[in-house]
Amino acid sequence: MTTGTRCSALLLGMLMLAGCGRSDGPAPLTLALNWFPEAEHGGFYAALFDGYYAEEGLEVRILPGGPEAAVLARVATGTVDFGVENADQVVFGRASGAPVRALMAPIQDSPQCIMVHAASGIERLADLRDVTLAMNPKGAFAQFLQAELALPNVRIVPYTGTVTQFLLDPRTAQQAYLFSEPYIARQAGAEPRCLLVSELGFNTYTSVLVASDRAWERDPELVRRFVRASIRGWERYLADPEPTNARIAALNPEMDAAILAYGVGTLLPLSFTAETERNGFGTMTQERWDTLVAQMEALGVIAAGRVRAAELWLPEAMPELDD
Amino acid sequence: MKPAPRGAALPPLLFFLVFAAAWQLAVVLLDIPPFLLPGPLAIGAAALENGPALLSATAVTAAGALAGFTLSQLAGLLVAFAFAEWELVRRAGYPYAIFLQTVPIVAIAPLIIIWFGPGFPSVVVVSFIISLFPVITNGTAGLTRIDPELRQLFALNNATRLQLLLKLKLPHAVPYLVAGARISSGLAVIGAIVGEFFAGFGSSRFGLGYLVVLTSGQLKTAYLFAAILASTFLGLAIFWMTGRAGDALLARWGVEER
Repeated sequence: MTTGTRCSALLLGMLMLAGCGRSDGPAPLTLALNWFPEAEHGGFYAALFDGYYAEEGLEVRILPGGPEAAVLARVATGTVDFGVENADQVVFGRASGAPVRALMAPIQDSPQCIMVHAASGIERLADLRDVTLAMNPKGAFAQFLQAELALPNVRIVPYTGTVTQFLLDPRTAQQAYLFSEPYIARQAGAEPRCLLVSELGFNTYTSVLVASDRAWERDPELVRRFVRASIRGWERYLADPEPTNARIAALNPEMDAAILAYGVGTLLPLSFTAETERNGFGTMTQERWDTLVAQMEALGVIAAGRVRAAELWLPEAMPELDD
Repeated sequence: MKPAPRGAALPPLLFFLVFAAAWQLAVVLLDIPPFLLPGPLAIGAAALENGPALLSATAVTAAGALAGFTLSQLAGLLVAFAFAEWELVRRAGYPYAIFLQTVPIVAIAPLIIIWFGPGFPSVVVVSFIISLFPVITNGTAGLTRIDPELRQLFALNNATRLQLLLKLKLPHAVPYLVAGARISSGLAVIGAIVGEFFAGFGSSRFGLGYLVVLTSGQLKTAYLFAAILASTFLGLAIFWMTGRAGDALLARWGVEER
């Protein structure tokens, strides 16, 4: 079906129309983030600000996200060219017929944790009890915790994106990223403790770069160039984050240089692992995707057999190793 | 209310069938991916597949909406009485009643959670705030917009203030209050769902607002449509019950049909 006839379909509405207007002339490639600019996006900004995208002949515009960024729907419909989302969301998207794939994973080990007050005496996730636990139900980890843990007398409520409730109530726990909320809570005088969800065996690639099947089929070389420049950006960012952080802080008033610097320090061990040592920065494995799909099927959050793990990522998009 | 003529259900039913068929056809012919717009068949399948969860979520949201609605009727009526009886109170308080309608509930919802704690109480408070305003305005209008000649008649017969209220103002206000309650009933459901976005339970007992957040976040669009449909039916049910109760009230108080 041509773009023209697609656009004439009234039902598709604005999303498709937006996609059409863009295909007329050379326009910058767009990268949609899943949240406000933070350390978890730093490498993409470094690739932009330090000219790595430009060196690949790419003009790139980064679109900050937020709670309703709907990254995968926009990537799937072609409204944006690339997106940043977490691995479990890619599985959800594919299960719902959104033709999107992961290209590279800058954060190998998930920073997702449950933040509790140190005074609560809760030292492991298995000890979680007698608290109000704020989690966004969207992430598969939330269902995983509910299935995996007994959670006696734990009241689960939506996470609204602020640590205010956590600060006010010592019987409160909440979802957090290791490099963000705990820092904010500590600054505000709390003494938080973070319990990594990955320690229970649920470890999703985080902030992965995604593109649509269509984008890959249309121009695989362009996708490869984008991935290559993004990886260079990430390596640069993690080695020398300060220049990029200063510009992220200007883009996101909630962030300052100190919290971003803390974020990068926390990211390093999550981004550089034994796996990346062997196969290069941002690498992914079939085994990890198989595990994630199997876990999500077992949780019942996707129908069994709906998603083939091999469709979720594109090993061909990664650059060849130099050695 | 007059009984509906025979076959009154036919045109809307026919319209629904044609609409659903056209929708399904469009989705199939244009190859629209299900995450963008699912067809009615997919929505029906999702509703059946998740039937128990949808029913229990509807019950939870219904409880929040009905509690908020009941509170807003009681409080709204009291405020309307005060506004109608004391001119000064009305002038002092009315701007703040309008504030209720203009306050961006989404912005203050996090505060409400901090004040009332997460869970059911906050859901009820949000539903209450959103559904209160029509009760106050309609109630005040009904209690004050009285025919001056009737007022004079009561005055000539030396009616006490209480008699004036019970025999003239209140009966006159009933149709207004019923109309206000109807508007308020739909708002109470919206309020409960918005409340659940921020404060609802996510554990074993969750409401429709939670389901909306969950399914839209996970691109389960057919299930999302089923949840939206359930909230629409809940709104209709509460609206219908309010209408029935209103009709009974109007008949009882012997006021002319409006």
